[in-house]
Amino acid sequence: MRAFIARTLAVALGIGAAGVAGAAEPLKVGAALELSGRFVAFGSHCKRGIDMASEALKRDLPGTPIEFIFHDVESNAASTVSAFTQMTSEEKLDFIIGPIASPIAASAIPAWRQARPIWIVPGASTVTLEKEIGSDLNFFHPFPYAYQYHVEIAGMLKQYVNTKTVSIIYTDDDYGRTHLPLAEKYLRDAGFTIVSEEIVRANSADMNSALTKIAFAKPEVLLALMQTTDSITLAKQVYTRRLKVPYLIGTFATQLKEWQDAVGLAQEGWTGLASYLPNLVNFPANPDYPKLLPTTSDWEATFRAKYSQEPNYDDAMCYALAAAMAIATKNAGSNDREYVAKALRELDINTVYGHLKWTATEGGTKQNAFDQMIIFQRQGGKSVTIYPPEAANGKLQAVQH
Amino acid sequence: MQKVCLSILAVAVAVFVLWLPFVATSQINDWMFRVAMLCILAVSWNLMANAGAISLGHSAFWGVGAYAGVLSANSLGLPILPATGVAVCAGAVLGAIIALATGRLRGVFFAICTLALSESLRTTALMTPKLTGGAVGLFLVQKLRPGATELFLIGTAAAIFAVLVSVVLAHTKFHYACRALRNHEGAAQMLGIDPRQYRLAVLAISGALASVAGCINAWYGGYLDPNIAFDLFVTVQAQIAPILGGLFTIAGPVVGSFGIVFLSELSRIWLGAHEGASQLVFGLVLIVGILFMPKGIYGSLLRFWARRAGPAVAKPAGGPATIIPQVQP
Amino acid sequence: MAYFTQLLIDALLLGGIYTLMAIGLSLSYGVARVINFAHGEAVMLGAYGAFWGFRLLGLDPLMAIPAVAMLGIVVGAIVFRLTILPILDSQQENQILLTFGIGLVLQSLAVMAWSADERATNPDYALSSFELGDLVVPGARLIGCAVAGVLVAILFVWLKFTELGRASRALADNREAAGLMGINVPAMFAFVFGLGVALGDTTGAIVSFILPVTPFMGFSILIKSFAIVVLGGLGSIVGTVIGAFVVAFAETAVAYYVPDGNGWAEAVAFAILFVVLVVRPNGILGTQATL
Repeated sequence: MRAFIARTLAVALGIGAAGVAGAAEPLKVGAALELSGRFVAFGSHCKRGIDMASEALKRDLPGTPIEFIFHDVESNAASTVSAFTQMTSEEKLDFIIGPIASPIAASAIPAWRQARPIWIVPGASTVTLEKEIGSDLNFFHPFPYAYQYHVEIAGMLKQYVNTKTVSIIYTDDDYGRTHLPLAEKYLRDAGFTIVSEEIVRANSADMNSALTKIAFAKPEVLLALMQTTDSITLAKQVYTRRLKVPYLIGTFATQLKEWQDAVGLAQEGWTGLASYLPNLVNFPANPDYPKLLPTTSDWEATFRAKYSQEPNYDDAMCYALAAAMAIATKNAGSNDREYVAKALRELDINTVYGHLKWTATEGGTKQNAFDQMIIFQRQGGKSVTIYPPEAANGKLQAVQH
Repeated sequence: MQKVCLSILAVAVAVFVLWLPFVATSQINDWMFRVAMLCILAVSWNLMANAGAISLGHSAFWGVGAYAGVLSANSLGLPILPATGVAVCAGAVLGAIIALATGRLRGVFFAICTLALSESLRTTALMTPKLTGGAVGLFLVQKLRPGATELFLIGTAAAIFAVLVSVVLAHTKFHYACRALRNHEGAAQMLGIDPRQYRLAVLAISGALASVAGCINAWYGGYLDPNIAFDLFVTVQAQIAPILGGLFTIAGPVVGSFGIVFLSELSRIWLGAHEGASQLVFGLVLIVGILFMPKGIYGSLLRFWARRAGPAVAKPAGGPATIIPQVQP
Repeated sequence: MAYFTQLLIDALLLGGIYTLMAIGLSLSYGVARVINFAHGEAVMLGAYGAFWGFRLLGLDPLMAIPAVAMLGIVVGAIVFRLTILPILDSQQENQILLTFGIGLVLQSLAVMAWSADERATNPDYALSSFELGDLVVPGARLIGCAVAGVLVAILFVWLKFTELGRASRALADNREAAGLMGINVPAMFAFVFGLGVALGDTTGAIVSFILPVTPFMGFSILIKSFAIVVLGGLGSIVGTVIGAFVVAFAETAVAYYVPDGNGWAEAVAFAILFVVLVVRPNGILGTQATL
């Protein structure tokens, strides 16, 4: 009994002290990222963005109110559960950011449920996440969901394409399987006929069988629902066999420089979706923190100078999120979990990745952000925005072989 | 004397680990849980290897157990112990099927068959989403999930049970028959040992154990998809643990499990921030361990003790080209 | 039935690629009985070698083959002497785990050095194809097939007719007798192993313009190569070739004719393997009894 009272007093005093002294101690945020294993690309870019932000914060938001503690979830479920357990019960972290990949984030849900810290997932477009915990107020999702991709794609196709036949090619992994029913729904609602659906093995060495069947079905549009590695194989085989389909719709991979380099000439005519593309979108600076959150092109210049590469979307997004968390902590005036969470929920700021304000989605997530998207097409080795009309600077062109 | 000491030590350890779930922090319990699961897997793999059947597809049993455990809970509402019972049956049946199908295959041939089976099951799980949830995955029904302490207790108890099974088997004719089969199947047959019967028994028991581990682990994690269920890494760990600990011994799998989990957590915590670094350490440990400690930690300890006991200890029997250690308690 | 000719073309070309993948493993396992679970990483390193040659020096991947092959022999032999020779006589699992550990280390080093981004080489012929009416023959895969054919022929001739080749076969048949015949057994083992790695590297260079190159590409290549080698029968290069084409045909046929076939195709390969092993454990053309 005495022990209980002593502990409660300590906690209360602790909160009080933190509230009085301001954020003297930095707020510790756990970053559970895929720093090895098959999703290392996502995790490492995110870490890079966060590191860059941490440095900028030291300079531009002194009193560094925030500190990130990294944990490698090794792109597998057991390590993710271990990492979450360690963060919540040992390190007693109230805030966690990551993981990024859909299956890894999904595997973290049961472990998250044990302690329900404030959880920001900058990735994971899987609808499973929304179904399971979307309505929880401790859950933040600064990323589009899979169905949002298809709302945009259907809208774009309706605008440009006359004969309404589509073939869908998808992989038998979580990406393909998640996106397929969503693509079907939104395409059918927009009046398209799906003339064939072909499944291919993830990491398939040869997709030609699927492409031959698609060629026989003679669609106007080919929609590819697959991740980067497979969409490289697909793009090359589509080009090699001079597939006579005029409109080639990719989803996510098209924006990645690695995809464009690996695919070479075959990239011509593929469309893709992005919330962010280097050199293509330019969000305005944040008037309160112009050095920390400058215009997107200024930020990109700083990134290029520092890392000698073009930034990826996840570099920019995690930079923006790290900065946003620091700002929320400053606004809260203390490290108390509920104050910071409230400040986080109330954020309404410009960032290098776009305007950050949490809104509800039609699928049930209460706090979603960063889900605006543009559709672009690779034309002459460059990305040309073709949708939505207010952002477009070009038109969708049919592929010629 | 040595045997008595070891037995007392074993009982002490068992009592200690059963007490831990009630008092230790979540982090420690999480580690011990992973040790327990790996221990069951390692004991299972060791049993099979002792009979000459090297399995490269242990993840098949793990995955089948995981799906059996989660699906029976989700569709029949079974609580954890009956669900584990279902997993036991599933694992035993799978083991029996493999035994009947592979007949007399040995060595790498058998191993490749198990690998093929494991990959085929993974593909099947991916291609039948109506049954298994497919690539999108499956969540265990939340309300059936027991509390953390109960789960840890069950995991630890299962591990102790697995070790006990191997102890019991080691003192029966079953064990000597298996060892004889491993050394020379022809000679064993001449002594009246029917290889097929023993192969069937070994694979069924081994399979059942591994499935138990998969099932309990799935209940702990709460989320399952074909890549998690049939993960190759499960197979790798199932082998590394007994080999590093001491192949064909009883304590070897246990020692090895502690070692592997310890090492993997260490590399994750210290090197986790660098991409690829934790897997690198794991690989290096494998290489160094195999090269410099081929009998494993426990096996080396035994050899050390045997040498100290003096020249009266019999030399281990074995063929000219291979070194197969005697089984020690 | 309309697909049939295209299916034939696809299957033949895929068979060529699979032969390429499996041939290195066939040599080191089939002839020297060395289990090399890092074979996939050898392919991966060859692919990266070709990629960096292409990116930094503008070197065509086919021109890169001699360089990566030489490097493969040398590095393979050294690794063998240092790590595998000491444990050659202990339990087979040790070889499996050791080489698996080597593979893991190589994979992690590749991730750390070159990141996990997908790469590819893009010589002009990578996206070329020949069209015959409705049929398409992709140029890159055709070249891969041709190289595979040349390599297999050379290997066959080497094994059968040269001194070194016969020495390697002697090793597989009877190690002690080979030693008594004056063959430097450790050196031969190292050489054959190195040759297997070199073949893997060559495969990698070819594959660099056909498939995406990532540090993780090795494992699926390893499994399939093993399945093919065992299917075709140990100790038989011709058997490996036959095994590769059997697997390629089965996979392609299923991909074309079974609904959702491409998803099931890989499982088919293993199902065939299973059946063949149970019915005829030596594989199709194997000469050794079960181990």
